Parts: sequence; C-alpha cells; structure tokens
Amino acid sequence: MSFFGFDTALPRDRASQGGNRGIFDTPDPFAEVARAKAQAHHAGDDDDVLDFEDTYDGLGDRLNDDQDAFNEDTFGDVETGPVGKDFDFFGKTAQVADVIGEEQVRYNLKAPRDPVTAPASETKTTTGASSTVLQQPKRTGYEKYNEPGYIPDLQAKSSVWGLPKKSELAPLALSQARKMMSLEEVEAQLRGQGAAPMPGGPQMALPPHVSEPPHLQRPPHVHGLPEGFQQLPPEFLQAQFARGVPPQMLHSQTMGPEPFPHPAHAPNLPLHPLQTPNSPAPHPVPPPQHQAVPPPRGPHPQQQHPQQQPQQHVQQHSRGPSAQLPLITNPQQLMNLTEEQRVAYLLEDAKRAKRNHKIFLLSKGNGLMTPQDKNFITRIQLQQLVAAAGNVADNDSEAVLAEDFYYQVYSQIRGAPRQHPHQPLGHFAQTYLLQTGNRIGGHGSRKHNQSADNHMQRMQQQVQRAVEAAKAKPKNKQLIIEGSLGKISFGNAKAPKPSLNIKRPESSEGGKATKKPHTDLSLSDHKSILSNIEGVYNTLMELEDLERTMPPPPSEDDSEAIQKHLEWRQKVRALNQKLWQGLKVMEPIVPNSTTPHPFIAFLSYPKGKKAIPRIFRHIDQEQRVTILTMIVVHLDTLDVVRRAHPVPGETQPALPVREAIDLFSQAVMPSLLGYVSEAPFNIIIGLLGLVIAQTHVQFVARTRIGLGILTMLLSRAEIVKEAGQASERDWQQWVEKFNVLFDTLEPIFSDIFPGSINTGDDMYVWQFLAATGIGASPEQQQRLVIAVKDRVMETVTHSKTLPADMASQRLGNVNLFMRAIGLDVELLG
Amino acid sequence: MADTEDVGSSSVSEPLDLVRLSLDEIVFVKLRGDRELKGRLHAYDSHCNLVLGDVEETIYVVEDDENDQEIIRTIKKQEEMLFVRGDSVVLISPQA
Repeated sequence: MSFFGFDTALPRDRASQGGNRGIFDTPDPFAEVARAKAQAHHAGDDDDVLDFEDTYDGLGDRLNDDQDAFNEDTFGDVETGPVGKDFDFFGKTAQVADVIGEEQVRYNLKAPRDPVTAPASETKTTTGASSTVLQQPKRTGYEKYNEPGYIPDLQAKSSVWGLPKKSELAPLALSQARKMMSLEEVEAQLRGQGAAPMPGGPQMALPPHVSEPPHLQRPPHVHGLPEGFQQLPPEFLQAQFARGVPPQMLHSQTMGPEPFPHPAHAPNLPLHPLQTPNSPAPHPVPPPQHQAVPPPRGPHPQQQHPQQQPQQHVQQHSRGPSAQLPLITNPQQLMNLTEEQRVAYLLEDAKRAKRNHKIFLLSKGNGLMTPQDKNFITRIQLQQLVAAAGNVADNDSEAVLAEDFYYQVYSQIRGAPRQHPHQPLGHFAQTYLLQTGNRIGGHGSRKHNQSADNHMQRMQQQVQRAVEAAKAKPKNKQLIIEGSLGKISFGNAKAPKPSLNIKRPESSEGGKATKKPHTDLSLSDHKSILSNIEGVYNTLMELEDLERTMPPPPSEDDSEAIQKHLEWRQKVRALNQKLWQGLKVMEPIVPNSTTPHPFIAFLSYPKGKKAIPRIFRHIDQEQRVTILTMIVVHLDTLDVVRRAHPVPGETQPALPVREAIDLFSQAVMPSLLGYVSEAPFNIIIGLLGLVIAQTHVQFVARTRIGLGILTMLLSRAEIVKEAGQASERDWQQWVEKFNVLFDTLEPIFSDIFPGSINTGDDMYVWQFLAATGIGASPEQQQRLVIAVKDRVMETVTHSKTLPADMASQRLGNVNLFMRAIGLDVELLG
Repeated sequence: MADTEDVGSSSVSEPLDLVRLSLDEIVFVKLRGDRELKGRLHAYDSHCNLVLGDVEETIYVVEDDENDQEIIRTIKKQEEMLFVRGDSVVLISPQA
C-alpha cells in the first residue's frame, strides 16, 4: 500500500524471519501458515508452482563489494568524459511510449480470441476443481513478460486489499485481514485456488473482452483521466489533506469495511489479481468515490497507467454492481452506465463534492481552540450575561426608570407594551442558551452529539447556578481580599465602578437644617439660587413621577383602592409642599433690600423661567395667585424688566436680555395669563393696585414684560365688565386705580414704544394702548390719541414704504388700537 | 435631566452636584490638549461627559516663527451643539 509499490512493512515486522528473502517477502507467520495450508490443500498441484525462492540463484549475494578497483577500466573515465545517453532507458522508453500503448491495446484485443495461445505457461498450473466459479482466469497477467519490450508496471500490491483472502481462505480472513500480504503469498493463494479448473477449461469470461469497443472508440478515457475524474474538485483533496488524513489512511478507511462486503461476489474476486498482476495501486490521490462509497472490491483504477489494462476493470465492474445506483469504484464504469444512471451518479457525485467542500471550508479553523479555550470563552460570556441579568433583576422600577428615563417615559406615553421592562431580560440567559443548544443538537447524527448535549446541559446548570448566586448577593460590589489592605471594587457598563464613595445625608432635612441659619444671607446668592432651582426640579420630577403612578380612580366600595388613592394624594400633597418650600415664594419680602427676593432670583434664571409652566400644573389656584402677586409686586426688580432698558446709545437691550425676555414671554406669561383670565375681579383690582403702589410704573411700562402684565390686567377687567360680572363697587375701585395708572403713564405714552419706528416688533405696545383705550373714558381716549398720534402717523407713513405683507401687519397693529377707541387707520388716509 | 435621584432639596453632597447647579447655564470647560470650551451646559454624567450648546471652542497652538520665538496662536470655532467625552475634561467652571 505504498505509492511506489515498495513493501511498507516496517523492518521490525519482517526482520525476524531472516534468510535470503526478497524484498517483497513479508515474514508474517500467519501468511506462512496460510501458504502452508493452501499448499496442503492443493497438495497435488503444488509441485510445479514456481517459487521465487526456488528460482533465485543467489548470485547477488556473492557479489564482492570491495572489488571495485577496476571500475574505471570497466566503465571508462567517469570523471572526465561525458556521461552519454547510453543508459538513458527512461528517455528511450518515453520515445516509444505511444507505440507501447498501441501495442498493448492491440494485444488486449487479440488476447481474448486465442487465450490458449497466450504465452502464460504458469496459468496451466492453476487448475482447481473446488472452485464453483464459472468464469475462469483466462490469463495470469504474466503474459506480457514474454513480450521483449515489456516493462512491468511497478505498482503497489493493492491486490492484497482485494478479496482473495476471503474466498477459499475464509477461515484465515480474520488474521489475514490485519496484515498485508506479500506478492508471494498472493501468488500462492491464487494458484492454490485456481489450480483445478484451469487447463483448457471453458473460457466463460471471454465475452466481456469481445465487447471491448468502448475503449477503442474512446481512447481519451483509456489514456487520460476518465470522466469521473474530471468531476473531481481539487478542494476535495485539499479537504482531505487539510483534515490531516494521510493518503494511506484514506485508503485504509475506504478499504476498511471490505473483508466481507458482498459475499455473493466473492467467487469472482480472486480473478483480479491474476488478471492484473501489477494490479492497481492504492493511489495517494483517491477519486471521490472512494471516499463516500466504500468500494466493494479490491482493484482500484489504475490512474498511473490507465492504458494498461483498463478493460478488465470495466468488465469486472460492469458485471458486479447490483445496487440500483451502481457503486462505482472505477471511473471507467461510468461509461457503461445508462445515461440516466450516469446523470444521477454525477449529480450524486457533485453533491458529495459540494458537501466535502463545505466541510473543508468549515474545517479551516478546526482545532485552533482547545476545549479549555472554548470553556474559558463560554465562562466569560456567561459571566457577562449573569452580570447583566443580575443587575437588572435587583433593580426596582424606580432604578429602571433612572436607567433609561427617556425610553421609559416615551413608552409610557406611547402606551407601554410591557409592564416590566426587565422581565424578559431575566430569562435571557436561559433562552439564549437553549437556542444555542438546539442549534448544536440539530446535527443529530454527529458523533459528538451526545457530548455536545451534555456540555450544553452542564452550561445551563452553570448559568442557573450563577444567576442564583448573583441574585443571592447582588449588592456586593466590592472584593476585599483577605490580608490585603485595599479593596477592589468592580463595576460594569450598567453600574460603573464608583470612584468616590460619599454618603448622602439620610434625608433632605439634614441639608436644610444646616442651611436655615444662613437663610437671610445666602438665599439669594448665586449658588443657593441655583440649588433652589435644582431642588425645585427634583421635586417637580418626583411629582411628575407620582403622576405617572397615579392609581385608577377608586370606586366607592373598594376600600383598598380608596386607601391607595388616599395615600397617593397624601404623597402628592407632601411633594406640593416641598415644591412650594423650594420655590421660596413665601420668603418674607425685605423692603429696600439690595438682594432680590429668592423667588424673583429664581425667575431670573432661564431654567427658573422654564420651570414655571411645569410648576403651575402642580399647584392650586391660591398658590398661583401668590406667585402672580409676587411677580407683580416685584415687577420692577424682575430681570426681564430691570435690564430691559437699552443702555444709552443702543436701540434695544443686549442679546442675552432679549433672549431672557423672549423666554419669559413664552414660558411664564402664558401661565400667568392662564390664571388671570379666570381670576376674580377683585384680585385683578388688587394686582393693579399693587403695581401702582409697589413699583415704578413708568419704569415698568417701558418694558415689554411690564406692559404685557398691565395689558393682561386691563383686558381681564374689560372682559369682566363686558360680561357684566363686575359689581358696581368693584368697578368703582377699578376705575379709581385705572385713572391713577392712566395719569401716571400719560406723559410717557410716546416713550413706551421700543426705540424708533424701525426697532422692530411694537405690537405689544399697540395691544396695551388698545386695552387702555377700551377701558378709558372718552376724555382719556382723546388724551391717549393726542399722546400717540405722532407714532400712529409715523407708522402709517412707514408702512407705505414696506412690502405689502409687512405693511399690513404694522397697520393691523395700529388698527388694533384705533378700533379700540372707535377709529380706523383707513380714516387717516 | 433624566436624573431622578433624590438629592434632597438643593443639598450638595458630591462634587458633581455642583456641576448640576450649572445645568442650563453658561460654563467654561477646560480640556486636555490646550482646548477650552464655553457654552451652555445641557447635560452631564458621572464621567463628566458633557453636552454643550452654543459652544465657542478655543484651541491654543504653540508655533515657532522664523526667529524661533514661540507664538501662541488661537483657533476659535463655533459649534451649535457639542458632545464632550469626559476623559478629556480638566475643569468645569460656571461662567456667570
């Protein structure tokens, strides 16, 4: 079973026999026994069997190695002269290779016709009565030695893998199967078995040779690689080699199941070695068929010398197969199949090749990782899984919200699809592992299937244990190694390792208590205001959280629900108080103080302004009016009023101030307006009184916010009056206050406009003037018109120079006022 | 401001609470690599990752002129919104 046909038996196997054995002599004791038995069996016929040892004259042993002194004389001067081509046997042979091939084919054609004349003297000796085989060996395979130019193929004794040992030597098969047989032994067996029936016997086997034409008609298949081999993908071989299977192994694999594959064919089999003495060698590059379909018999395609005796193979194999889709060990067989069969076979073959290729691709990384490596990786993954799962598991819903606030809120707004966001994660590890397990288990027929299952089971158990452990002590985020001074704290992506471990004060009271004494001094400083704002935001968020968890409105007979609801309301009230405290609205007003009131300071920050709408949602009317009152009282100290006057030389306030004003009118004013538009009349009167009494009205009126608040109050009063809801006494009070306001503002009516006519939006001014005009007496209206007449005319003139849409807007603003006093810009022409 | 943890009203218990006071305010941020930022602090986290709005970035580059004199050149950039990774933050200062 070696490439070059040498005996591959190890020296230790053949050493002990010693003697003058040839190199093909395998000193296997069983073989000897077999031979002996065989000879004994056919004792009568054995005499004329030629034995190599009998014929070997031993001359070679007598050579004297030392006596090479005259080599030069014999062979000429080797060192100087050119070697020449005298002994170039190979080259010479190659020149006539074609001729040899032709000779051979012709011979094969001729041979069947006169088998008796075949010059194989030895065949005559092979007569065996015991054989039940009808077909008789027609040739021994030694015929060719009679041809002068014949050079026998040097091939491995693949015949020994064939079935001769099975036929008559069945009792020995077991022992023989384990070893290779030497050529000698094979010959011995063959002779023994074939002895009786041979001489002049019927040549039943001839017909096949007569029907040879296919070979002649298709010389390419005879000489070249037959069809089957063209299908052979190179990847297959690579795959085989990649898997580290040595060629010999391949063969032993394919040959493995041979010993008793098809007993029915056994009688035929011994013929092969006879007919192909140089019988096919196990090729190091086996065709794919050998891989997938264990060949039922010995001979292999002669790939090295396909031209030698392919015919026999074809015949033998074409006779042999009984399966529906014939087992094909020889590519030559393909040609004898029907078209359908061939197609089917080729398809099968292609499929197999594809699969092998896939296996090859998949096996690229095989063996890179040891099982320990895989285990290690798996453990890391499990750890992370468990860490994630355990972490989520010990979180309450509060923490989940903190973890992923925006998503949670969003999903709540959208109608949360799942109640417990962390619930699915709890099962994640298991699910994941189960799926993986199924996937692996899916390849049911695998040899490692069972062990893989066990592995997955083990892993699942591991996960379960790990998850339980993680749940058991979820809080342990530090590791203190015994005997060491430090601790190791660890974290993960979800809960980062804390770099500082500062204890928070137990309750908010602690922080407050230390602060109280400084209230007067520090309340208004920058930092405390910011802290106040943050405190308010915290409370706001708590309130909003609470709002989200509001229990359903209780039914009357469900005491538990009522209880829940009551508790909830309690919480809301507590938080409301907290919020109110945080706003510092009720801090005492310190007259003539240089520091603004905490609440006004609160409002001076953008985030403070932004908080107002949110705050207004959570406070009651009384609190709202308190806030409104605070704002009105401190109107001239509001940052948006105080800083709203442009510095001299500028037409409008600085950019940050303008931004603040915009923000205030967008964030705070709507909330205030929302309250004012529902406020009772007496509150409006009171507020107007506060403006007049507590603030510099002229100062306030020259700002947008100040005018806005005034407009708010005036228009609300007008609406109340229109609706007839105002009592006479209230109205009298109101008119009193209004007159004071009007008188105060009359001198500056022309100054309340923001800068020049080009400065920009002055709509709020016209709105104020309109509100004033509606509530004003006819006499006041007249004074009003006189005061703002110039501005009206200016605007009308200016609007003529503007694009149409802008012009109409400006005129519309003016008209707002004009109509309020019963006029129209149209009248002005 | 998804930070729902209850700090207690307005108490400062850890350094980052001070940063919190500057939320929505203009802050000055000094970064590694001779960079400075000035902008409105929209958000931060425990790693000092920051989100700033209306940021002015100043980069200081030291260059040698012909006389081997070191000149400090500043490059200014204006960004509408900026995410700053916390590991480059050196200091955060409120900019009143």
